Parts: sequence; C-alpha cells; structure tokens
Amino acid sequence: MDVGQYLGIFLDESQEHIQALNDNLLTLEQDPENEDSINEIFRAAHSLKGMAGTMGYKRLQRLTHDTEDVFSAIRGGQMKVTSNLIDILFQALDAIQGYVDTIRDTSDEGENDNESVIAELGKFLNGGGGEGDEGEEDEGAAESPAEKAAAPVSSNSEKALYRKIVLEEAQKDVMKDAVVADKKVYGFTVYIAESCMLKAARAFLVFKAVEELGEIIVSNPSSQDIEDEKFDLSFSIFVVTAEPIDKVVAAIKSVSEIEEVAGEEYDETMIDNNGTETGAAGTEEAAEDESTTAPEAESAEVSVAPAAEPKAERRASSSSSSKKAAPAKKPVASQTIRVDIDKLDVLMNLVSELIIAKNALVSSAAQMSGGSNSESQAITENVEYLESVTTNLHESVMKVRMVPIESALQRFPRMIRDLEKKLGKRMQLTITGEETELDRTVVDQIGDPLMHLLRNSADHGLETPEVRSGRGKPETGSIFLNAYQEGNNVIIEVGDDGNGIDVEAVRQKIIERNYMSEEQAMQLNDKEVIDVLFDPGFSMAKQVTDISGRGVGLDVVKSNIEQLGGDVEVKTKLGEGSTFIVRLPLTLAIIQALMVLVGGEKYAIALGNIQTIEDIPVSEIRLVENKEVIQLRGSVIPIIRLSDMLDAPEIERDNENLIVVVVKKGDSLAGLVVDELMGQQEVVIKSLGKYINTSRIISGATILGDGEVALIIDSNALF
Amino acid sequence: MADELRIIDNDITQYIVVALGNEQYGIDIKYIDNIVRMQRITRVPKSAEYFRGVINLRGEVVPVMSLRVKMGLPEGEITGKSRIIILKVDQSGSIGVLVDEVKKVYNLRADDIEENLSHDSKSGVQSFISGVGKVENGLVSLLDLSTIIGEAD
Repeated sequence: MDVGQYLGIFLDESQEHIQALNDNLLTLEQDPENEDSINEIFRAAHSLKGMAGTMGYKRLQRLTHDTEDVFSAIRGGQMKVTSNLIDILFQALDAIQGYVDTIRDTSDEGENDNESVIAELGKFLNGGGGEGDEGEEDEGAAESPAEKAAAPVSSNSEKALYRKIVLEEAQKDVMKDAVVADKKVYGFTVYIAESCMLKAARAFLVFKAVEELGEIIVSNPSSQDIEDEKFDLSFSIFVVTAEPIDKVVAAIKSVSEIEEVAGEEYDETMIDNNGTETGAAGTEEAAEDESTTAPEAESAEVSVAPAAEPKAERRASSSSSSKKAAPAKKPVASQTIRVDIDKLDVLMNLVSELIIAKNALVSSAAQMSGGSNSESQAITENVEYLESVTTNLHESVMKVRMVPIESALQRFPRMIRDLEKKLGKRMQLTITGEETELDRTVVDQIGDPLMHLLRNSADHGLETPEVRSGRGKPETGSIFLNAYQEGNNVIIEVGDDGNGIDVEAVRQKIIERNYMSEEQAMQLNDKEVIDVLFDPGFSMAKQVTDISGRGVGLDVVKSNIEQLGGDVEVKTKLGEGSTFIVRLPLTLAIIQALMVLVGGEKYAIALGNIQTIEDIPVSEIRLVENKEVIQLRGSVIPIIRLSDMLDAPEIERDNENLIVVVVKKGDSLAGLVVDELMGQQEVVIKSLGKYINTSRIISGATILGDGEVALIIDSNALF
Repeated sequence: MADELRIIDNDITQYIVVALGNEQYGIDIKYIDNIVRMQRITRVPKSAEYFRGVINLRGEVVPVMSLRVKMGLPEGEITGKSRIIILKVDQSGSIGVLVDEVKKVYNLRADDIEENLSHDSKSGVQSFISGVGKVENGLVSLLDLSTIIGEAD
C-alpha cells in the first residue's frame, strides 16, 4: 500500500499524540493516581502504535507497543507509577519523538532500534523493575509440574494473556457454535524460552501441531505478525477442537523450546466476557483473577490504585480497548478542519497580489478624479468599496493563519522538568497567555529562541537551592513565560527570579576574554554591556555545560527573532532576576503603513508603531548630551533625522517646522523627522532577499500602486 | 548517429555576451531568468556600493547590482541600451545585474573554453572569471556567477 499520501497526517497526528503523552506523563508525575491521565496516555500510545503499524514503521511500532504494554499494566493496577518508571517512559517518549523526527526528515524511521529503552521497559513489565522477576519465575516453576500432571492447566492470571484478547463478535459466534456443537474451546498462552533463536519457527510448529488437532480461531499477535517474528516471548491463541485440553497442551509442549503453556477451557459466558475481565457473571476465573492480582500488586510495593480498585480500572480499560476500531472521540464535534499550510500560503499570496492590484487601481482612480463628472465619482466610490472588501479579506485570511502560541510552548514544562534533574536545582515554570495568537510561521519558528531563553534562565539565572535559601528566597526558583498582545505586536516575556545579570561581572569578562579593550569596556553603559551578551561568540558561562554556554545562545536567539521581524531586550536587576522581552509582529505579510517622503524617496512606517504625528518648530529642539530632543507633553523625546539615517539625498525644505512622526516601542518614544506625509496605505511586505544587506532599520520593501518599490522602516530597530 | 548528436549537444554551452565599456563578458545562459530594460530602481540605504537598489519584477522585489562597480570599473551612464539581466542561480531568489549592453548569444564548445587562467595578470577582476572563450572575432571572459553573487553576503 502506498502510504506516502498519509505521511503528513501521520506526522501531524503523531505529534499530537506525543504531546498528549508528554502532558499527561507530567501530570502523572505530580499525581501518580490520576486515572484520567493514565487512560489518556494509554489511548495516545495505542493510537500511535496503530498509526505506526499502518504506515509500516516497524521499530516505532515495537517501541510504542512496549510503551502501551506498560501503560496497560499501570491501568490494570499491576504496576505502580514510580519516578523511576516516569524517567524510563520519558526516555521512551524521546525515542518515539526521535523516530517521528527522522520520519519527518527522511520519510523513513531510521535504523535506531532503541534496544536499551525497550529493555528498560521490558524490565518494568516483567515485574516492577526487576524485583518481581524471581517471584514470578518461582510461581511459574511451581505451577508447571501441576500443569504437566493434570489437565486443568495454570490459570494464573499473569500468564493467561489470552484472557485479555478482545474477541470480535464473529469470533465469539464461531466459538459459541463450537460449544453448542459439543466441541471444546480453549484459550492458550504459549511461552517460548528466552534463549530461543527462532521464535517464529517455534510458533509455526506450535500452530502446526495445534491445527492437527483442531482449528485456531484467534491468535494474538496475528499469525502474520508471528510469522514476521513480531512478538515477544509469548503468544495467545483460541482453539476449537474435539480433543481434551491436556492432549492439546501436550501437543504444544512437544515443540522444543516451549517453556510454558497456560490455558483453560471456555464456556459461553467466558467467551462473552473475554477481554473484559470484569466477570459480569461472577465466574470463578474473575474471582480467581482478582485474588491473584491483589497480593501481587501488594508485593510490588502497593499498587497505584489500591487493591480494591483494579476492577473499576479494568472496566475502564476494557471499554476503551473494545472500542479500538472507533477511538474515543470527544463528545463535542469540533468545528475545525485541517488545512495544509501551503494552501494558506497560496491564499495569502493571492490576497497580497489582490492588494497590490487594488493599490494600483486606487492610484489610477485618484488621477482620474480630477474630472468631477458623475462617472469618475462612481469609480471612486467603487474603488473605496473594493478597498474595504480587500482589507476585510486580508484580515480574515490573516486570522485563519493565526494559531495560539500554545503549540510552541507545550514542550517547555517537560524541558524544565528534565533540566531540574540535570542541574540539581528546584524550579517552577509558570506559563501565561498560551492562547495569544500569532501567525503560524512565527509560532513555528519562535520555539527555539524561547527554549534558549528558558534554558538560559534555568542554567545561568536561577541559583542553587542553597544559595537561594541563603538569600532568603524560596528554594524553588520560579521561571515564567508570559505572552500577550500589545498593539500590532505580541510580547513574550521570559524571565526568572534568580541572580539577574551582574553587569560588572560581564564587563570583567569582556576584558578577560579580550573581547574589547579595558578602556572601551569601561565606557560602556549598563545597557551596552548587556547588549554584548547578544553578540555572536560571546559566552558568560564559567564552565561549558551541555545546557547552555557554548557561545551559541543569545546571539542565535537574537538573530532568529530578528528574522521574524521582531526584537529582544533585557531587563535585569542583580539579585532579583532578569526578564527577556521578545517583541514580535502580529503578522508577517501585510500591514497598515504611513507613507512618508524622505529626501524625495518614499518609505513606509508601520502604523501600529506610530503614537502621534507632530508639527514641531525647529526652535523647540534642544540638545541633550549632544543629541537632539524635543519636549512633548511633559516627556523628553529623542529626535532622529531619517534623512541622516538613510543617507537620503539632500533636498531643500521648509526650515521653520519639522514633521515629526512619534513612534513607540514599549514605554519609550522617539521622533522621526520626515519631509512629507503621503497618507496611510495597506502594504504587502516583501523581503529584500538574501543578496542585499542593508541597515537593520529597513525591514523589507513593498510595491506601491504605481509599481514603484518603497522600503519599509522598522521603527523598533531605531531604539 | 543519434548518439553523436547528443554528445555534441552536451558539449555546447550557450553564453550571452554583454558589454561593460569596451570589454565583453559571457554569462552562462542557464542562469539567466530574464533580461529587462532599465527601469526605476529604488535605492537601498547602507547596502554595498555595487548595489543599485531594488526593482519590481512582476510583483517581486529583486535586488540589482551594477556589474561595472562589482568588477571594479567606474559607474557608467544609463543609456537606451542598458539592460538588467535577471539571474536565478539557486532556489533562494533572483538577482539582477546591470550591464551596458547585451550583444548576442554564442555557442561555445568545451574545447573553445580555456579554463586554466594564470592568476597573476593585472587587476583583481579575473577572480570573477571562470574562463576565457574563443569566439570568431576575439576572446570573451566568462563570468563566474557564483563568486559574483556569492560575495554579496
């Protein structure tokens, strides 16, 4: 089957499942008895396994299968959630993520078998991380003689895995018919010796031996999987035969390297109840089952669910596993559809084209409107209508592209948990504003920079618990990430209540590392010193850890964020902590802009950044520290002459008054001196491409109605 | 017969020959996306001096460099013969080069091209030259586009 066309869906969905696993594992770590989480995890692992199987990713399937087994044991109450177990499960999850990443990159799952993780999982499965191993073997040993002697074979619930098989209606019917026809139905679970090299061949021989006596109705794993050796050391079968059970057992045992056979005869009720194990009819087996499980659970150090609960838990488990075919859906039908992001890109490009065409029409209409006849009046009206429609269309398409930033933040709680263990610090991550929406492209790319900032806080920011308690701070350090919208920007603050940046230490380091001469370094003000931290190749870490401090970090953060059209700044107070403030544009493609003339050239300034436009007499300009400032409603604002910043051609202008566009960034304001205002326009942002390097204050270009290219000024870069 | 033809086809590279003052340079036709007339160029502040600015090419913003300045020649006059050659070297977008004139297309066989140039002849210009092609009335320097464009970074 060609599954290539499903690859995208597979990747999307497996990512969702992995995320669900991650979230719920974290919950489970805090609250090991959270049944909802256990069920959710089981469901996600199960779906993952199914998808991997469909797509033919054998290694991924095996790993998810083992993971699922562990969860099913937890759910069944045979295993308890320990911090050790959570660690292993996280490792398994990482390995699963690894497969999915490899698949995303290469469409293939790669060669990594992750044997060690599987072995660890296996250890837990075989009895609480090794402890239970011996006990179980003893039990097995004690039981096998009995088995050999008399037919009523071991019905040790641990061994009788056939009881867990969920029978399909058709299979039940066949079995019931057999019972009615006076034949016998047996369930068996066959264990092959661990040392066996040819499991598939042994299993095949077992099948052959059994089929000589009767008919195999059900096998788990499927006979195909068994042939492909896709099973561990056991497989379960249901057999319809006229022969007595001991004859069948003997036949199975005649195959060499078969260690043990568990089996029993089934009657109609048992057929009906198989896989549910709730023992609705109160059959012996169910009772026996419980009595064997409970002590075992206790011996494995108190089960997650107290011994009285397994029954309820199992009911939950069976109901969801019997619905395998139709995975549990949320009751409320979701009003969303999945759309390929490429299609949205095409749509967005078309809207951009439309706006450029509309701008062209607007400028032609403006030229025509000189003749004041009714025709040109009509054209102007229609063009205005078109303008409002395209603006609304653009907003709608943009909204479609907006997704909550949540998806970029989901992995952080897990990351902080891992760092906590690695660094031996105690920390608490608080995230607010996950629902803040951003363009999908930005959300996709903001994860890495934010991760760097969080690691930075965890590694460099927070002190060790000893230092913290010495300073009278709570031992658990807090790290926060707050996202919110501010005008046309989205702000993401990442910070901690740790040590803060020691400006003097950084200054010393700059000198020590010969990054600047001592004289230069001493002249820097605090902000400039902190800015050095963002320079490529400068790292503060006293020792290189594998968390941060390889000289790649803040500079990468900065360049990544700038690529998204945003910027980053720091607020820090020694001893109290630091906050990194990331500012991102709400949209990448189309903005409302004020068009201005500087030296005869047209420039666009994003309207969202503009506070006011002022007419200032030249005489009001003052000099402070040799820089031009004006006083505006009580505050002092620095003046930036755009013609100087842009090396614009000198032109003659009215020397008495200056047109000052006041722009804001956070709390600070600046006044940009322009020659002329040309009005507001919707502009489509185009990149200048990689070939041409320019000043940071030029963030892109746009095509005007008459086909001319105008550059866009990023006023945030002027601060 | 058919085989022979194919071999000959593979052997021939087409070059567009452009003029910069009195000198002629060849540009491999496979990198050329388009040739457009001179049009309004928007200056980009603080960019490298050989960049004239950006143009609107069918709705895309494309940077344009002056091949003269890039090659170390003085900036020339814009005339009716000036052309912007739009190059597409890799996936990452187009770039235009401004030339004085586009002359004609030459078919050059591999043995008409001399690739081993001695690197000690006059200016630094030849670092942008990948070889010299023999044409009926003289020699054409073949431009190494990856160095010309690559250095813009």
